[in-house]
Amino acid sequence: MEFFKKTLDPVIALIAIAVLDIFLFLIVGAWTVGGGETMMTGLIAKVFMGDALDRLPFWQLVFVPSAGYWKIYISLGMLFGAFVGAVLSKEFYVRYPRRLSEWVMITVGGLLMGIGIRLAFVCNVSTFFGLTPEMNLGGYLAVSGILAGAWVGSFVYKKVLEA
Amino acid sequence: MSIVGECLVAFIFGSLVGLLVQRSRFCNTAALRDAILFKTYRNTKALLVAMMILTFGFTLFLTFGEGHQMHFDVGLNTFAGLFLFGVGMVLAGACTVSTWVKTGEGNLGALWALLFTFIGMFLFSLVWSVNYWPPAPDSMNGQPNWEALQLGFANARTLQDKLGVPAIVFGLVQMAALFAIYRAILRKEARQAVHGRNTAKNYRTEAAAEAAE
Repeated sequence: MEFFKKTLDPVIALIAIAVLDIFLFLIVGAWTVGGGETMMTGLIAKVFMGDALDRLPFWQLVFVPSAGYWKIYISLGMLFGAFVGAVLSKEFYVRYPRRLSEWVMITVGGLLMGIGIRLAFVCNVSTFFGLTPEMNLGGYLAVSGILAGAWVGSFVYKKVLEA
Repeated sequence: MSIVGECLVAFIFGSLVGLLVQRSRFCNTAALRDAILFKTYRNTKALLVAMMILTFGFTLFLTFGEGHQMHFDVGLNTFAGLFLFGVGMVLAGACTVSTWVKTGEGNLGALWALLFTFIGMFLFSLVWSVNYWPPAPDSMNGQPNWEALQLGFANARTLQDKLGVPAIVFGLVQMAALFAIYRAILRKEARQAVHGRNTAKNYRTEAAAEAAE
């Protein structure tokens, strides 16, 4: 099938995603990833910590761990869809960064993403595919923040590459 | 809609998005990083087109009071959080979408980034449980709260309610602004293409001159 042989134009892919996102907005809410990830964090922490997790107010007042939170399933769906796409296009194979510096950057980057999402209450997806198209004031704050952050991150990334 | 129905809709949506992102190699991180570092705009243009369509769709439905808008107060934490996120996504080489999509392709680096995103969230929950900032959703009332550095809640629908102008009108203004950025990128790409052709032509001319000598 041609779809699995050639790379799809990202403009076409994003037009399709935007239309799907409008339907999702009407049914449950706009596309978001950070909220589902936070709930997964809570569920995983609950497995390891049990009732001790209840002593942390965050998991009582902001996110009460629940497997019935719809946003979790967007992330699991993306994992599934990407896996199917990769297998059918023969692009699935195990790969990993070769250099230690890459592992360090990924570790620091992952931590900053997790902390940033929770500090802001939104992730990049909510910023570009939810808040800003709703013309929420937070969308403009978030876009300003992510552009400034990406600029600083690019500077650091360039320095690390040059080193 | 029942909880199972919501989860099913979310899973189907996520699966289609995962497939489309995997096949198109779209990356939100690249949309910003490549524009800043390499002056290439393949992903940036796609992001802008999606935002134009979404602005039209969301503000149209908000005009009629339809749809599930994101409803929480915003403030300094929104800017600061996305600033940290922006630094993190460039260092990790992936955003929230691409960590899941690349993991689905067998990329262990993306899985590692995902794991540390979870750890970062848990670390934040420890800090929040001490300082309670930013305020919990239950304590938000949509109004500015200067003490907590919160500006409140405002979007195209609240503008409509306050000014009596349909939300879609504001949406059309935002679409025009996004289109102006999109057109500026197309013009820049056209200039880059001309410059690239001239450079190649000059190189060929110089090479021919050297060969003749």
